[in-house]
Amino acid sequence: MNRFMIAALGAALASLAPAAALAQVSPIELKGDVKVDTVVVENGKETHVLVEPKLVVPGDDLVFSTSYRNNGATPVKDFVVTNPLPTAVMLAPEGADKLVVSVDGGKTFGALSALSVAGTEGKARPAVAADVTHIRWILPVLAPGSTGKLTYHAIVR
Amino acid sequence: MKNQLAMRAAIGSFAFVSICTAVLPGTAHAGGVAAGTMIQNTASATYTSGTASGTVSSNTVSVRVDELLDVAVSGLTSTPAVAGATDVVLEWSVTNTGNGPEAFNIAVNPAVAGNGFDATVQQIVVDDGDGVYEPGIDQVIANGAATPAIAADGSVKIFVIVTLPGTATDGQTSQVDLTATAATGSGTPGTVFATQGDGGGDAVVGSSTATQTDNDSLIASLASVALTKDGNTIVDPFGGNQAVPGAVITYTLTATVSGTGQADSLHITDAIPAGTTYQPGTLTLDAAPLSDAADADVGQASASGIDVNLGTVAGGTTKIVKFDVKIN
Repeated sequence: MNRFMIAALGAALASLAPAAALAQVSPIELKGDVKVDTVVVENGKETHVLVEPKLVVPGDDLVFSTSYRNNGATPVKDFVVTNPLPTAVMLAPEGADKLVVSVDGGKTFGALSALSVAGTEGKARPAVAADVTHIRWILPVLAPGSTGKLTYHAIVR
Repeated sequence: MKNQLAMRAAIGSFAFVSICTAVLPGTAHAGGVAAGTMIQNTASATYTSGTASGTVSSNTVSVRVDELLDVAVSGLTSTPAVAGATDVVLEWSVTNTGNGPEAFNIAVNPAVAGNGFDATVQQIVVDDGDGVYEPGIDQVIANGAATPAIAADGSVKIFVIVTLPGTATDGQTSQVDLTATAATGSGTPGTVFATQGDGGGDAVVGSSTATQTDNDSLIASLASVALTKDGNTIVDPFGGNQAVPGAVITYTLTATVSGTGQADSLHITDAIPAGTTYQPGTLTLDAAPLSDAADADVGQASASGIDVNLGTVAGGTTKIVKFDVKIN
């Protein structure tokens, strides 16, 4: 190996270094999952069981979840998770009032009961779960190592 | 972790990056999202760590929508179709209430319990989409065969051409059942036909069991004809009523059509009895004279016999034909 080649290698390594610095590993890890919420009736009692989505048809209750974890050594603040709803599903009405949602494509967020959408004849009507386009979760602080799971139910349209 | 969640109406000043799901090929409709649609969900997050802010996205989870097999069948002949001597066209609509294109097997059963008669099925015809029965244009299928694929939420008219059996009598009623069954399969709701769904997924039987039946009804409207002949009116040359040579006999033929239907192409014919001679110009129908010649009026007469063409005669009508002969 001659000196010229070593010099060239050095230059190559030098040019790689800034790129590696940019590709900083996020301290936050998000993992999405989906299950089907099925109702099993046993001895007259209804129990909900989450199963793998092997078979999904309109009307099914899907449970989308996003698990988060702070893998960093320092606390993470102002942690905001936003989930656009797939257009083929609608937010399940049950429990929808406990979420922070958007009905205008993610421009504004709030409690469903406080939102309205354009109705017929130009009049605004109160928003319903089926109008929701985005869901948002806000956590002020994630301590190092803390984990959690954010879920929502959606009905296949 | 629920206690860590805080609802905040205002989201502050930090940046937010939205990662939208891919545009879905399916559109929502009554039967639901189209079979084969991929439902994809991705969440994203923004945060601050020290003085730096960051964004991160989750993996995208995908779920394929499977095909729901459902059907609705409705007999469209709301009042019983009146069946006489000609073909009767019965109509049904078959609606694909599933979420993918599906062909349906059409089975027609004219032998329904309680029938006064069982209609004879001549043809099963699938409408071409204009809702009108067009012989020679609409597609004829065998009993039990499949329609072309019907789009999700689409419906097609089925025409069933039936005739009365010879055994039917006036006023009898009959029902004809039409059953449409998803070509992929049917059964208890929830029955799965693996990998047979439209769009690459499975097919699963919906609440309709993927097979439905509805009936149309028809009523026989027929007429019967009774003919009586009376030759009791005799006038002899001597002013009496003896059947002697030279006496004139007036024959009266009475056709009584009964029933709710009609008698088509009804002719009254009679031969002139041997040993007698038709008296020209004596043929009448309901007391109105008919010429002997074969011409515009409905009657003709000659030395051999008479023929009155009554055409179509409705039930409840009586027609009287008279003519004279002279005993030779």
